Amino acid sequence: MFVGFIGELLLTAGVIVLLFVVYLLWGTGLQTASAQDDLREQLDFDQEQSDGDSSSSLQDLELGDAYGIIRIPRFGDDWEWVIVEGVEDDDLRNGPGHYPDSADPGELGNFGVAAHRAGHGEPFADFPELHVGDIVEVETAEGVFTYRLDDAPDGDSDGNKINISDTWVVDPVPGEPSSTEPDEARVTLTTCWPRLGSSHRMYATGTLIDVEER
Amino acid sequence: MYAFVWRQLPGPWPAKLILSLVLFAVIVYALFMWIFPWAEETLGITQVTVD
Repeated sequence: MFVGFIGELLLTAGVIVLLFVVYLLWGTGLQTASAQDDLREQLDFDQEQSDGDSSSSLQDLELGDAYGIIRIPRFGDDWEWVIVEGVEDDDLRNGPGHYPDSADPGELGNFGVAAHRAGHGEPFADFPELHVGDIVEVETAEGVFTYRLDDAPDGDSDGNKINISDTWVVDPVPGEPSSTEPDEARVTLTTCWPRLGSSHRMYATGTLIDVEER
Repeated sequence: MYAFVWRQLPGPWPAKLILSLVLFAVIVYALFMWIFPWAEETLGITQVTVD
């Protein structure tokens, strides 16, 4: 009788853990997909007609607002996500997030973006597949900014693995003191390592190669 | 435990069956809506930023 009770408890615990994995890998993605739809509606620059009122300046955005669109052809031709402003849990559950203290695209300095690699739509699922030379395209109200990676995991699942505290990767000039005056426009992407955990981080970074102002 | 719950449910067995399915659905819903999001945040297993 008592043993049966313990057995039932253990079985129940096992089922709950399994459901939790289902939640993390699939359930979180449903919420993200619907958030992405809402965010896309906030972006008015894909519409043909411009009302001439450029009130959607990047500086006026609040945390959680739609920031722009990121495209990385390495992840697929139709891989496209709406970036949100901010990198708190509540921002990142809706899509890739812009480090609010980092530069805007095209500016001298470092445009930092973080995104999930498992769950929440897993935007950066294939992150280790990023190679040096890959293109990262960012579209905002101000234009289309194309970056080319000069430092990436290059197919190594442990490539560009860093510690959680390695904030230098999103500094204006990565590797230099954060007060260093930047002389080039960079992009830096961060995600978790390992994929199904977060004891460490991974990054990839590159420089601006093309700008199409709006 | 489950046998105890089954005995507590009122009515003939088809009613018990429906009630237990409803109970199960409510518990799963609560897990997905509140408990799992809380657990994910508390465990900190899905962090992707440097800080």
